[in-house]
Amino acid sequence: MNNYFDLKLVELGRWIEAFFAHYPTLKLVVHLLLCTLPLALSFMGAFAFTTWLERKGLARIQNRPGPNRVGLFGLLQPIADGIKMLLKEDIVPERSDKLFHFLAPIMLMIPAMIGVGFLPLGDGLHALPLDSAIIFFFAISSLNTIAVFMAGWSSRNKYSLLGGMRAVAQMISYEIPLVLSAVAVIMMAGSLNAQEVVASQQISSWVGSGNILQEFFGRILGWNVFKPWGFAGFIFFFIAALAEANRSPFDLPEADSEIIAGHLTEYSGFKYAILFMGEYISAFAIAGIGVTLFLGGWNGPVFAGLPWFVLKLFSLFAVMIWIRGTLPRLRVDQLMGYAWKFLFPLAILNIFLAGFYHFLERQWGTAIAMLAGWLFGFGALQLAAIALSRLNQSPTIRSKRVYQLVE
Amino acid sequence: MIVAFYLLALIAVLGAGLAITLRNVVHAVFSVLLFFSALAGLFLLLLAEFIAAVQVLVYIGSVGILMLFAIMLTTNVVGDPNRPVQSRGWVWGGLAVVALLAGVLLPIISRTGGQSPTPLSDFNPSVKQLGLVLMDPYFASLGVIALLLTAGLIGAVVAATGASEADQAKTVPENRPRFPNN
Amino acid sequence: MSLIGKGILKGMGVTAKNFFQSYYRKERLPTVEYPEEKATINQFSRNFPFLLYDGDDPVDGMRCTACTLCERACPPQCIYIIKDKDENGKAILSPRIFDIDTSVCMSCQLCVEVCPYEAIRMDSAFELSNENRFEGLLLNREELLKPNAYYHEIHPLEARETDDRMAAKAALAEAKKKARQKRARLAAKNKPPPGLKKTPPTRKKPPQREKSE
Repeated sequence: MNNYFDLKLVELGRWIEAFFAHYPTLKLVVHLLLCTLPLALSFMGAFAFTTWLERKGLARIQNRPGPNRVGLFGLLQPIADGIKMLLKEDIVPERSDKLFHFLAPIMLMIPAMIGVGFLPLGDGLHALPLDSAIIFFFAISSLNTIAVFMAGWSSRNKYSLLGGMRAVAQMISYEIPLVLSAVAVIMMAGSLNAQEVVASQQISSWVGSGNILQEFFGRILGWNVFKPWGFAGFIFFFIAALAEANRSPFDLPEADSEIIAGHLTEYSGFKYAILFMGEYISAFAIAGIGVTLFLGGWNGPVFAGLPWFVLKLFSLFAVMIWIRGTLPRLRVDQLMGYAWKFLFPLAILNIFLAGFYHFLERQWGTAIAMLAGWLFGFGALQLAAIALSRLNQSPTIRSKRVYQLVE
Repeated sequence: MIVAFYLLALIAVLGAGLAITLRNVVHAVFSVLLFFSALAGLFLLLLAEFIAAVQVLVYIGSVGILMLFAIMLTTNVVGDPNRPVQSRGWVWGGLAVVALLAGVLLPIISRTGGQSPTPLSDFNPSVKQLGLVLMDPYFASLGVIALLLTAGLIGAVVAATGASEADQAKTVPENRPRFPNN
Repeated sequence: MSLIGKGILKGMGVTAKNFFQSYYRKERLPTVEYPEEKATINQFSRNFPFLLYDGDDPVDGMRCTACTLCERACPPQCIYIIKDKDENGKAILSPRIFDIDTSVCMSCQLCVEVCPYEAIRMDSAFELSNENRFEGLLLNREELLKPNAYYHEIHPLEARETDDRMAAKAALAEAKKKARQKRARLAAKNKPPPGLKKTPPTRKKPPQREKSE
């Protein structure tokens, strides 16, 4: 049963390509289309579904039913929204930079879509199977910042510019803990190749042994989250990913109660829809790389491959929505301080912890490394976290505060 | 392959040309970014994936954003429209370009005879090989660079904290002016 | 020593509880799906005024006497009253035109407070949307008139109170009338000489309508 869906999909692709066997140029074009078009379409579909999921989830958290008018359970709501967006007037501010105002949504969509291409969705389902896919992913995802800046600057609106500035500062800061927490995984897998990182997350001696139990757990227990450094790294990665994707509680660039909608303020109609979609798809891409690096990629028992990847991706996104329903927004200074004074040192410490674990595993085997890693390594991380939070506390005000206008 | 090369080369030249002729500084920075991305594409064509990734990560993701950040804080992005775009320095710039072409590029081209020393199909560098090379023969230089960067980082932190304390001492006097009690 | 992130986990627990309980506990999903089902309106809710009448015929049983107190009290001046006249041109104590512009009304209930005849009260009907935003929202006398039974239906407590007060007033008026009749009878019996006792005529204040007009 393993990899069944992926094999069938690859087979389907080959079958379609076989029709154009006599025309090499056409075959190449069809091959490229088969690599990109289903990916783009399915992620756009996933975007539509996620807006529904988000609205429903947030509604239930706030004790409301959420959209339930269009279609069954409101499932057709995204389509209605899309039609509405298409029919709306596209307003461009009079004194805006018209060219950049037009280019910004496109510039946001391009890196998001390329980033999605680097994800290994399943066995053999990999649009851009580069040898250095993971570092390429991080390089491409840093381009989001430029698009957001473009949108903010070209609108010639103070709120837009503020949003753009916040976005740039935030995305630069959080990229560092994001990449550093991924470094531990790359170090342990010994490769920048996404497929190899995924392959490193199964217990190779158990998979293919024939024993049903070993088959089953060999594809779960090898995930990086179940290792001490992986667990800590996953938490750091997830926090940084929330900030990179501008998701709550780090949604300062589009904080609607403070700066209207940040860089989205002056956008309307279809351009707004494209910007919105670009943001969601880059959030998908970051969640997808999180799944690849820490949650075992497409590894999983019984239905290994695409179904597991999709399941993990949507679960991770559901957690993002859950967090959005729970946590209030951070302040700007808190945000920057958190990245630089807390996440950054901890992520570096985690790299050392991973090295320590690797050494122990080599020397005395997995069981002892696990034990020592969870006890000492994780304890060290906890201690460091507590020490950092003590250090970072703003100095207590010793003198009694005097209110001069009172009395 | 050839078409892609010429397309990317054209974009690169166009981006570089626009960067020095455009009036609007933000537009100029974006054309520099266009040039950088075309260069990354050229690296990819040469199968130098890692270099391409670093090009995007460092030059577009960091240097470009640094420039944008600096420009974002300026009020007048267009500048004085009456001043001519080209300054007198263009003569020296042109001379430097010609010298570079004649002194560096031409000898290389003439030595290889216009052909790649190894056919691309045999040449398939992986990131692993690059890492091994960096970690074995070039480890000393890598270590020195790493040390230098760390020293720079620590220096920046020290400079930043020192400045802020001095500022605080300067700007917050002991006796603050009080509100008049009426 | 506390675990880092404990507060966040606690908060997420709260939201998770809200999420899951909204599927099986009524108090976690209090939304009423409006067009299909309607929430019961609290009897103290109010939005726009309406006119009350007694009996069966709206116009005959109208309590309003066109005293225009409400017209003068109305802060946004959304009430418009014209007194009725009989064939001889003499004023009758009832309005010929009584309009309330609900697009102007601010639901302050001052008209209800000033009305001495308990003729105007606040309604709680809320489905007032209309295709014509000018004439459609301008309610005339016939649209405003509603029976006392309707008042009992929407504001039972208040309506009972009003009825009691009106009954008491009526009883008081009856008693006064009887007393006056009795006094008249007594006076007639005692037979005072006419023109001997001078009772000063009760001074009536001139009506202040002129000022407002």
